[in-house]
Amino acid sequence: MGLQKIDFVETRGNIVRDCPGTKNHICCGYKTIDLIEGCVLSCSYCILKEYINAPNIKINRDMPYILSQINETIEAEKTHILRFGTGELSDSLALDRRYGLNRPLIEFFGETKKALLELKSKWASIDHLVPYLNPYTVISFSLAPQRIIDYEEKRTSPLYKRLKAAKKAQDSGCFVGLHFDPVIIYEGFEKDYEYLIGDIGRILDLKKVLWVSLGLLRFPPRLFDRFLEEGRKNLLYGEFIRGEDGKYRYIKKERLKIYRMLYGLLKRQEEDLFIYLCMEREDIWRGITGLTLEDNEALTGLFDNRIKNLYGGNI
Amino acid sequence: MQTTPITRINVSDKKFCISYPLEDGILLASIKRIGIIQPLILLAPPPYTIVTGFKRIEAALHLGLTDIPCIMVNITEKDALLRSIHDNMGRALNIIEKANCIEKMLHMAFSTEEVYDVMTLLSLSRHEKIAGRLRDIAGSDETMKCFILKKDLSMQNIETLLRFTSEEKEHIIEILTPLHTTESTIREILQMLHLIKVRKGAIDFSTIIGADDIYGLKARLKTLTYPILSSLEKGLKDIKIKCALPPNIDIKVDPFFEKEYIDILIRAKNPDEIRVALLKLNGVFDAGYIRSIFGLAKD
Repeated sequence: MGLQKIDFVETRGNIVRDCPGTKNHICCGYKTIDLIEGCVLSCSYCILKEYINAPNIKINRDMPYILSQINETIEAEKTHILRFGTGELSDSLALDRRYGLNRPLIEFFGETKKALLELKSKWASIDHLVPYLNPYTVISFSLAPQRIIDYEEKRTSPLYKRLKAAKKAQDSGCFVGLHFDPVIIYEGFEKDYEYLIGDIGRILDLKKVLWVSLGLLRFPPRLFDRFLEEGRKNLLYGEFIRGEDGKYRYIKKERLKIYRMLYGLLKRQEEDLFIYLCMEREDIWRGITGLTLEDNEALTGLFDNRIKNLYGGNI
Repeated sequence: MQTTPITRINVSDKKFCISYPLEDGILLASIKRIGIIQPLILLAPPPYTIVTGFKRIEAALHLGLTDIPCIMVNITEKDALLRSIHDNMGRALNIIEKANCIEKMLHMAFSTEEVYDVMTLLSLSRHEKIAGRLRDIAGSDETMKCFILKKDLSMQNIETLLRFTSEEKEHIIEILTPLHTTESTIREILQMLHLIKVRKGAIDFSTIIGADDIYGLKARLKTLTYPILSSLEKGLKDIKIKCALPPNIDIKVDPFFEKEYIDILIRAKNPDEIRVALLKLNGVFDAGYIRSIFGLAKD
């Protein structure tokens, strides 16, 4: 899988950071762990290549330092239940079977019991982690109709494998996360998402889904030119505008329509699902969920409540 | 320096020619008046190959001259090409001429480093992709080359144009040539055309041709590529027409219909003008037009 060279580094400095989010949009207060920089999966819409100015994949293997940074961050937080993830600058699982990077993290969060680790992936390989999984690790998969996986996520696991791996994680005592991100408009996408969400309802225990995110395709302007050059019909099918953050995103009318459709389909499967919008405007939040979120803090509060409801006093 | 009859020169051999276009009215007038001052450089043996002086020979042929001043050289073809390129460095080369330099060097199997060195001298980025693009430009047909020069296209716009098929390029050039354009309007138009091509697989030019000006063309393309936004804009325009606002009142909406708020602007020179404007706005509000504007981007 992949031809990119792997560089092992021992970077000092801020390994744990606030998720950058995007300006003038509601963000969830996620913490990122820069364990790996770069990704072997090479999805066509991936913005990592725009952000990471290096051809090789960097793996930070100084685990004691990384754990100390995470611990410091957890200890410094007095208000919220922190959520950490390694999937911001890479895929959390794609290289894990080969390099065993997640095991010490999973064990650390399981012992600490004060925060959650989310392993977010499109690569359905968790068998090697199953013996170590505990409720403080959330196994999450990005989900998309198989047509999008076939055309735009060519090196990733097929949908059925992702769902199978998510089920396995649930059976191993973990909560799972589901990320419909990026949702892509293409001819017939509505029906495909309807089937996809139906499959999820049949395969997974939706009571053990900690969170579901919805995020429509958005990207920096330079990617628009690349999509044109590569003739990415699926990615360019919808109608884009430049958002307040400078990124291209679908026009608001479309965003509202699609969020409403997905939100409705998911809620029909399980009324109690915790669904959040990734990097969206306050008015879109209100239009879809009926919730008025004044700021990022309000969304972080919703996450706190969700976690407390499911974990009780165990966190 | 010596003089040689034109008949002894192989005028059709242009392997060292980088000049484009060869027709040069000022040079023609100058040669007509005082003849060729700067001798041509010719590569021996006969029939001689021109190394430098393609525009001069073109003018000489046009004027019916029989002999021309020249300097004979006996050098390798690679050296001859380099001499031709460096002979032209003293003037600002257009993009076609720069492309010719690189294409001919690549054709003669110069090393990458040698090609990159010339690219640097020509103020071009030392990059394989750029060299490839230049090769494509040099290989373009006359119509395309003329269009590039006429519109003084940037590398970015040329690159986009090159992504279309020959037939599509022909249509695009035909549509854009008579219109007054700027670099940015050409970029916008090419981008929209490219978007249509990617989405539909082909461009139906019958729906595009016939625009009176660049704004008309842009509007047509926008309707095709951004149908929702175009329909919202049309909706807003229709409501504004119904509002029949005087020139000192304007209702401004976010250009992408993203923001929830609208701005109402009143320009007034005295309190009375404000009173009249507010009365007008009150009527507009009561007629439901303001509500209709808010409703445009809702769903």
